Amino acid sequence: MAENTVEETRRGRPLLEVDDVAVHFGGVKAVDGITLELRAGHIYGVLGPNGSGKSTLLGAMTRLTPMTRGSFVFEGNDYTRRPARTVHHMGIARTFQTVRLLDDRSVRDNILLGQDTLAKAGRKDADARVDEVMERVGVTAVARMRPDELSYGMQRRVEFARAIIGRPRLLLLDEPTAGMNSSEREEIGALMKQLLDEGITQFIVEHDVQMMVDTCDYLFAMNFGKLIAEGTPAAVVKHPAVQEAYLGKGAGTHA
Amino acid sequence: MQDLLNAATLGSIYLLFTLGMALVWGTIGILNFAHGATFMFSAFIGHVVTKHTELPFLAVIAIAVAVGAVMSTLTQLLAFQPILKRSKNQHAAEMRILIGGIGVAAIPLAIAQRYTRSSPFGFRSSYDAEVYQFLGLRITTTALIIIVTGLAIGIALTVWLRNSRQGLALRAIGVDAETSAGMGVNRPALALGTMAVAGGLAGLAGALLTFHLGAIAPETGDTLLIKAFAIVVLGGLGSMLGTVLGAYILAAAETFVIFMNWGTWVNAVSFGLIFLILLVRPQGLLGRKEVRRT
Amino acid sequence: MSDWYSMNVVLIQTTLTTLLLALSIQVPLRYGVFSFAGVGAFGIGGYTGAMAMVHGEWSTWPAVLLGTLVAGVCTFLLGLVVQRLTGLYMGMATIAFTLIISVLAVNGGDWTGGAMGLYGAIGEITTMHIVLAVLIVVAFLAWTEYGRRGRKVDTVREDPELANALGIDVNGYRRLSFLISGLIGGLAGAITTLLRSTITPSEVNFHLVILALTAIVVGGARSWVGALIGAVIFVWLPTFLSFVQEWEKVAYGFIVAVAAIYLPNGVLGVVKDLWHKSRTRDERARVAVGLQEKS
Repeated sequence: MAENTVEETRRGRPLLEVDDVAVHFGGVKAVDGITLELRAGHIYGVLGPNGSGKSTLLGAMTRLTPMTRGSFVFEGNDYTRRPARTVHHMGIARTFQTVRLLDDRSVRDNILLGQDTLAKAGRKDADARVDEVMERVGVTAVARMRPDELSYGMQRRVEFARAIIGRPRLLLLDEPTAGMNSSEREEIGALMKQLLDEGITQFIVEHDVQMMVDTCDYLFAMNFGKLIAEGTPAAVVKHPAVQEAYLGKGAGTHA
Repeated sequence: MQDLLNAATLGSIYLLFTLGMALVWGTIGILNFAHGATFMFSAFIGHVVTKHTELPFLAVIAIAVAVGAVMSTLTQLLAFQPILKRSKNQHAAEMRILIGGIGVAAIPLAIAQRYTRSSPFGFRSSYDAEVYQFLGLRITTTALIIIVTGLAIGIALTVWLRNSRQGLALRAIGVDAETSAGMGVNRPALALGTMAVAGGLAGLAGALLTFHLGAIAPETGDTLLIKAFAIVVLGGLGSMLGTVLGAYILAAAETFVIFMNWGTWVNAVSFGLIFLILLVRPQGLLGRKEVRRT
Repeated sequence: MSDWYSMNVVLIQTTLTTLLLALSIQVPLRYGVFSFAGVGAFGIGGYTGAMAMVHGEWSTWPAVLLGTLVAGVCTFLLGLVVQRLTGLYMGMATIAFTLIISVLAVNGGDWTGGAMGLYGAIGEITTMHIVLAVLIVVAFLAWTEYGRRGRKVDTVREDPELANALGIDVNGYRRLSFLISGLIGGLAGAITTLLRSTITPSEVNFHLVILALTAIVVGGARSWVGALIGAVIFVWLPTFLSFVQEWEKVAYGFIVAVAAIYLPNGVLGVVKDLWHKSRTRDERARVAVGLQEKS
């Protein structure tokens, strides 16, 4: 995928426009004026050392984190002022940096939650759909078990399944492979590409550079709350500002 | 004027009772619902002991303080610590600690009620309160002791929390449990110590109030508990100075209500205050700005 | 059977009214709202019903209905005011609300009968009526616990932020929990009062909060079944164990403390865990083997 040119990756209908978004906590500018555009049919990645504001940006995009300024337009609808819960209804789903599942509900119930608040059409054939999703992420065998009885990697798969069961048009993934072993990482990477073929655009926050280069076809790089580079993975990784953020003066902040 | 003096005495009693609760809640984050029962039971043990042998004032106080400290330590060891260990998150722990505290509180209350058949009890002591008169004001030695002790301990705790090493460690726990653990603060030990101090204060308050009134009822602790909550909320969680202020403000307000002959409304003062403060200024008068709202 | 029934009619009625009261506290807990306003609603419902009968000369069921509705509305309004408070603060604000109701009752003069309470509200309520009322309430609650409604409620309680991200109207659910709690509490109060024909301010106190809480904590806070288990245990235990009668309150305190420490989900939680374990034995064995193979 890294062979794509910038022109190719800018094809597709506009999905999400992020305009000059800032999130300040008191004097700390966690996100400071980010502008970017996502088009349908791509896997986007945000690269950046820990504390560069990636996850905060994701929080703002889902309206869970109150923002200082800026706007979000999804498929032509400005949702900047709408409550967080409407984001899910619009067709944007997300996963979290840490696993957040209901420990006293079965895996199946946890996954079903991803479509429980959708309008009737979105919940059609829920039983068949949940079986299909479980099969794809590989949790069918543990459907009746509870999340706290599963390994961390399995828990992440359940979260993944919960995010995709409602057929979102944009999927936001916050470090989707954190805590996974390399074979699990590959599986998740393959699954992401499969989902892309089904029309689910993805936006991944991650600090594992290799994983991002392998999976994404367009990268953004952040540091200190600002966008420092964007483009094809190969170009972004070689960008001097990115090199510096990871290896240069900013190396101390990289975990 | 006499009313002001009465308010000062009442406020000091509230203060002695509340200080322990506020200390524990403001630092290690435990709202100990058994604090009222500890208060009452310390005085009750004093009552049982003095039934057999007449004791001097200080001996009764010492017994009550010791009983309070032991009860409070046991509550922490046997109930709160296991709950904290078994809880997934702060929210779940808070609720279970509250319920566990309610359960623990019911045990000494029931024992005391059984023993006294729910009637008020006092001490048999060689101590005899004298009444002083000056400028037309009447004050007993007990009231004087209560006012002086209350203020002294209130100020001492404020200063200690602000300036000492342990005080700093405790406040650090109150602000951010995780970071303070990383800084090498021994949380369980500090928590146990804090609970013991709080229990001792509850015992002291119980003995002094019983000396002051002549007798208290087993249920006295429950009533005081809600008032103490009002005081902490009013003063601001985590601020000892706020607790001192809150205690006297509540006492003054209640004395005023009685002065105006609205006696049956007196309990509504504390309940109303809780409500008003939580809505208008949730961090209290002197509280640190904290996430009390979602 | 009918002998047994007539001997125990008071206990049966008490079990049912205790169940209603416990449910009024359990509903907000199930929605993650630490509210004891249900006990205040019990007082409002009881007093409103009794006043309608004594002063307004209403008949039994309109009075019960009025008590239920007034309590529901008052508690809902309280919810609007306090809905943003968290955890303990919410708990204490709602306890304060409950205690204010009792102070109001003391100071209500002829309307509420003052500290002596209100007498002579002789309702025509039979055990059958109470059973019917309980069935309606339980059917409704069972409906809210089932399927996707149940999943959503669980998420609101366990992780409000996640609930928001999943598109659930968390604040709406919280407000709803106040309304339901108020209606059930009011119903419990009105029925209890008109059954006994009297209500006094000292009944609406902290101990009623503890009774309701105890039943839920021991039975289980996650389902109406838990409240039923708790109500049955606490109403019937003293009749079976004579030593408990002697030390009743000590035993209750002990049981509550132990339940809070070791059984956070009550008796029902233990039963559910065992059921889950036996049902998924094969799956768990497979996962354990799988993990071993990998390592």
